[in-house]
Amino acid sequence: MISVRDVIVEYGRGTKAVRAVEDVSLDIDRGESLALIGPSGCGKTSLLFAMAGLHQTASGTIGIGGLPVNGPRKEIALILQNAGLLPWKTVLQNANLSLLLNKEYPEKTADAVLEDLGLGDVKNRFPSELSEGMKRRVGVARALSTSPSVMLMDEPLASLDTLTKERIQDLFLELWKQHQFTLVLVTHDIEEAAFLGQRIVVLTECPAHIKTVVDNPDMGNLAYRGTESFLNIVGQLREALEE
Amino acid sequence: MKDRMHQAIWLRVLRRLGSRTVGWHIGRYLLSIVVLLLVWWGVSAIVEYVKGRAFLPNPVRAIYEVWRLGPMLFRNFWVSAWRLVLAISIALSLGYPLGLLIGHERRLDQLVSPMIYIIYPIPQVAFILPLFLIFGLGNPVKVAIVASALFFQILVSARGAAKLIDFEHVISVRSAGASSWQIYRHVVLPSTLPSILTSLRVSVGLGMAFLYIAETTGSFDPYRGGLGSFIDSNIYSGAQAFAGIMAMALLGMTLYIIIEIIERIVCRWKHIGHKSS
Repeated sequence: MISVRDVIVEYGRGTKAVRAVEDVSLDIDRGESLALIGPSGCGKTSLLFAMAGLHQTASGTIGIGGLPVNGPRKEIALILQNAGLLPWKTVLQNANLSLLLNKEYPEKTADAVLEDLGLGDVKNRFPSELSEGMKRRVGVARALSTSPSVMLMDEPLASLDTLTKERIQDLFLELWKQHQFTLVLVTHDIEEAAFLGQRIVVLTECPAHIKTVVDNPDMGNLAYRGTESFLNIVGQLREALEE
Repeated sequence: MKDRMHQAIWLRVLRRLGSRTVGWHIGRYLLSIVVLLLVWWGVSAIVEYVKGRAFLPNPVRAIYEVWRLGPMLFRNFWVSAWRLVLAISIALSLGYPLGLLIGHERRLDQLVSPMIYIIYPIPQVAFILPLFLIFGLGNPVKVAIVASALFFQILVSARGAAKLIDFEHVISVRSAGASSWQIYRHVVLPSTLPSILTSLRVSVGLGMAFLYIAETTGSFDPYRGGLGSFIDSNIYSGAQAFAGIMAMALLGMTLYIIIEIIERIVCRWKHIGHKSS
């Protein structure tokens, strides 16, 4: 589904270019959930933005669904750190934004998704009136509105309290199973990676390259958190990051 | 559905405005007017006591002149009002989009910013003579003087506001497939509106000052009119000149209130509460 081949991502040009990602190759199957974990500022977001078509690679190729990624595409949804909501748009307008930009609105709307996510009562409110947890759910509603086959998440639960974070992690897991999209999650939270990633790719310090890949076959149910297998994966990831 | 959504938003805006009723806002302005008149009266009395002559007319006399010269003052008020509103509109419609473009497009900014930095600090008063030579006498030159002064004010504000746009908002709409025009429409324009409205408030004061200069420059101009000209013609008959000054204050206050109302409508998201967690 997603094929990343010898990808190098750089910022700036010529001698002043700063390399963020170095020689990363990955294959992600359709419907798979992959977590990218690494230290802050290592270049994992740059790799994700390259997959989203927001940043051109300096060399190497990225393909999704057999087609090279040259720019944003409707079937690739991106959820950003702070949900990326526009403060001047209501919940409903924010949720419909992708549909509007892709000229699918008003034939298709995000109403049903908002209802499913328990946001039906707040759809006419502005983001400033919502709790952080609600804002993240609106971000999810926007991403789901176009029925994407690939869901890219850039530290979507950063700065949330533990309980809210776990509740939304549960929601992500349920949505991934329900909608069967391919999930790529960028995080620096070890437990989040262990809970949501079928495979967890540990990246090095900047420029990011793959340090190790940890398989996590037992993930996939809400009760996984706290099991021996989960704690074992958390331990492996901690060790890999500290190496 | 869209209508119902707008209705719900409006109801909430009105409810919040309602917590500060229209009567409360009027009362606030009336109280300010009374306080200012009392201060004026006090200063006028002190000046008269110290200097032995009423150099500064007291507010009662000025208010009497407003009543006595009502129709003439009213005509001049409208002349000044439309000149100022037209000049602000021209400056806004040219300066705002250009400022956004320069602030948002990095290469254009690198190219054009030095020119702005060279021209902006030049006192705009220096351009009055060339403007008279270009536009001749009459209304166009008066509007041009005010508009040219406000143009740079708005351009610089718009450029600054466009440079401060939250990068996440741009990434958010770009990842959803937005074109360049859609980025302007959905991010750049709405996120810079509050700063531009603040800039407009500043522009009212600056615009009034330039309007006064424009209306009092060129005593040979047959198209004088306006409050500046009225004040200038009555400059030696204190109370009448102050009647004109009061009308100018009323014009400024009216424009501030209009901008405040526009802000409540177009930036209503800024006036709706915040939830912390």
